[in-house]
Amino acid sequence: MKKRAFDPAASRKVRSCRRAFLLLIAGAALAFGPDARAQPKAPSRVLLYTSVPQELATQFARAFEKKRPDIKVEIYRAGSTEVGAKLAAEREVGGIRADLLWLADAPIYYELRRRGELLAYVSPESKAIPADLKDPKGFFTAGRLINMIIAVNTELLPLAQAPRSWKEFPDFGKRAVMGNPLYSGSNFVTVAAFVHKDGWGWFERARAKGVAIVRGNSEAASALAGKEFAIAMTLDYIITGLIRKGAPLAIVWPAEGAISVPSPIAILKGTKNPEGAKAFVDYVLSREGQEFLVKQEVIPVRGDVAPPKGQPSAAQIKFLPIPYEWAAENASAIRERFEKIMLQ
Amino acid sequence: MALSRFDRRYLLMGAAGLFVLLVVVYPLWQVFYRSFLDAGVFSLKSYRKVFSHPSYYRALFNSVWVSCATSLLCMLLGTLLAFLVVRTDVPFKRSLRSLLVLPYALPSFFAAISWIQLLGPQGYLARFFLHLSGWEAAPWNIYSAGGIVFVLTVHYFILVFITVAGALERMDASLEEAARASGAGTYRIMKEITLPLVLPAILAGGLLAFIGALANFGIPALLGMRARFFVLTTSIYYALAIPDFGLATALSGMLVAVALVSTALQFGLQKGEGRYTVISGKSVHPSELRLRSMRYPLFVCVALFVLLISILPIVSMVLTALLQYWGAPLRASSFTLHNFAYVAQFETARRAIANSFFLAAGAATASMFVGVTISYLHVKAKLPGSRALDFLATLPYAVPHTVIAIAMILAWSRPPASLYGTLWIILVAYLAVYLPFAVRTTHSTLQQVHNSLEEAARVSGARLFARMRDVIVPLARPGMIAGWVLVFLPALRELTVSILLYTHETETIGVVVYNLQDAGYREIAAALASIVMALLIFGSVAIRRLTGGVAGI
Repeated sequence: MKKRAFDPAASRKVRSCRRAFLLLIAGAALAFGPDARAQPKAPSRVLLYTSVPQELATQFARAFEKKRPDIKVEIYRAGSTEVGAKLAAEREVGGIRADLLWLADAPIYYELRRRGELLAYVSPESKAIPADLKDPKGFFTAGRLINMIIAVNTELLPLAQAPRSWKEFPDFGKRAVMGNPLYSGSNFVTVAAFVHKDGWGWFERARAKGVAIVRGNSEAASALAGKEFAIAMTLDYIITGLIRKGAPLAIVWPAEGAISVPSPIAILKGTKNPEGAKAFVDYVLSREGQEFLVKQEVIPVRGDVAPPKGQPSAAQIKFLPIPYEWAAENASAIRERFEKIMLQ
Repeated sequence: MALSRFDRRYLLMGAAGLFVLLVVVYPLWQVFYRSFLDAGVFSLKSYRKVFSHPSYYRALFNSVWVSCATSLLCMLLGTLLAFLVVRTDVPFKRSLRSLLVLPYALPSFFAAISWIQLLGPQGYLARFFLHLSGWEAAPWNIYSAGGIVFVLTVHYFILVFITVAGALERMDASLEEAARASGAGTYRIMKEITLPLVLPAILAGGLLAFIGALANFGIPALLGMRARFFVLTTSIYYALAIPDFGLATALSGMLVAVALVSTALQFGLQKGEGRYTVISGKSVHPSELRLRSMRYPLFVCVALFVLLISILPIVSMVLTALLQYWGAPLRASSFTLHNFAYVAQFETARRAIANSFFLAAGAATASMFVGVTISYLHVKAKLPGSRALDFLATLPYAVPHTVIAIAMILAWSRPPASLYGTLWIILVAYLAVYLPFAVRTTHSTLQQVHNSLEEAARVSGARLFARMRDVIVPLARPGMIAGWVLVFLPALRELTVSILLYTHETETIGVVVYNLQDAGYREIAAALASIVMALLIFGSVAIRRLTGGVAGI
């Protein structure tokens, strides 16, 4: 900085720079600012809060809009925790803004149902969906299946030596990794299912042997692909995606059963567009909608839709029962006990 | 005459006060009073929970010591580098300086990922080291408290670097020359003249680094989990995941308390009238220290450091962007341009880049002007209440960004000011988040400007506005530009606030990168971050060319 403010030539230069700069900002404000994109409102819009991966959610919404050009789907995508915080904040100031909710975190729906914030809607399409994947009164219905499985890095561990069951998983100690249920909804559901079935012994063993905890499922999968671990407890679709890109990974469907997180779709009671929201739910559950998801490697919820190539169908997978009501009631006790055993 | 001048400064104070009230005080009050509510009734339940649960004590303790260690290391590193780059004749100063600032544009969770990719058990540098040394395992562990301090230091030392570099540039070299003429050696001059003169800048930068480390979430979340090492911000995130709103706000209260104590300490350390007035109207040309035979050895040291902390993390990110998947073996068949192609046709990413540039430039510009006003009122005008105003404007720095986002929803989503769902609410939140940067950087700058300059202008009949325009702002400009960059860069990649406030069509870069990363598309996220980084470098070079070196990163 050799230029001084009292040097008149430099001062002029600085001033013209400043003017140019302010013009630039003003220009940017006009070009990119919110006013520039104020559009005439679409005849009918629905707002969807979701934790479905952004790309998948967007493509799915576009497919729906093609079928129903009179409805526009707007998407807010974030992790289940962020969506939860947003819902809590919106509740404080006059109600939840979303029309539709499509998350992986099932307990949140029980909480919403308890508060009376969900709209009951039994879609005509839900007949094709197994009873354990939907709420009997139609407050929510599974929209896709994501499954907690054991993933193996076959470069580090030949598939023959990989664990075949959840029971063997902790024996791999420091070579094994799982996500944190205090962060991730699907991990929470998994812990609840394990504990409800067999108590806390599995976790005490995992702690003693040194199983690593990371933040969530995508981090567990990344660390597995990056060869930091030989096996991981994580979600099937993330692993399938990595396998498709060439990662040396494999999926083991555990002997006791996978944990299937149904990723429910629900309509909020406060919706101003119940017809549009219902149309979207119908499309998610329809044969056409599920077939679209299958093309994106998602396991369908309908028995009459074939699963992605090389993947089991919902009917073929053995599932561990998930005690949703119990998990929702005991959520904080489960989290605290997990923290005490695994994280301290 | 005297009365009317007096009134005008109060007018200025009223405007700044209103701004702080709307952007900071009212939203934070919304959160604060709700932390005392349980189902709508006054209750201390949340606070009791915090003080009865040992894991929260531990988190508090961890937060404090990690931030202290980070802040000390940042002050050491930042001051040393600033001195080398500004006051010596080390070669390629300008480029070194730009390169040092660059990694600050990485989102902090991306910085953590980059370092895992470099130093983690399977990291590029770790494998290289094992290959060279023949050891079984690297003697370091990135997944540890030490690893967190390291990455935080590399991420935040720039706050000290920029404030100290600004102070050194504005320093009156005649003081040093006087000492030299009186026979003092270089070491003595440094210790007794230079260091005391830049001390306020070092402390201001150190405080920014301290509170930055305290409020950081991404780095401890990614590096601390495996070591079972938790800090306050990670505990707050748990509380939100539960979701226990009261607990989250009560924990935030503790975080704010720690930050307040440290800010108060810094205020206390900086008492004393006129001690730091360095710019007093005489021609000031800081002299360059001749390094002589040490010139190139020192350059090599700094260049190696820049390579390690700036270039390698960015290379590691670009490498990830070029791979089929993270962890793919480094052979020709693993490389692809698919990720870049994907980003290029990804409409959301393009919109996010436009949104983020608008928000970052808007937040940086507005907060710098408000910041310089508040600093002027406190440091120069010393009006009653200006200290409180300064303090309130610094407050949000200590509040976790998630809580600020929630505060904005609570404050600004009801008519008549229903901003929720627009870009404006994100802008207001950014202003709250970054106002402290603006106030703290201009604060130390104005402290160096001697009162006599403004007095002279006043005696000559210049009114308040003229004095601001012709004396205060021009003299504070290097500090303001430095501060602008300090706000613009992090605002460009901001995540925690935007993820709760964005809606359809108001996505920011941070949101899109995070969502890609979270869904397992780490390579695409890296490609987007690389493109943003390239835009920044290009933009910075362009601005520097256009302004003849006056502005730019």
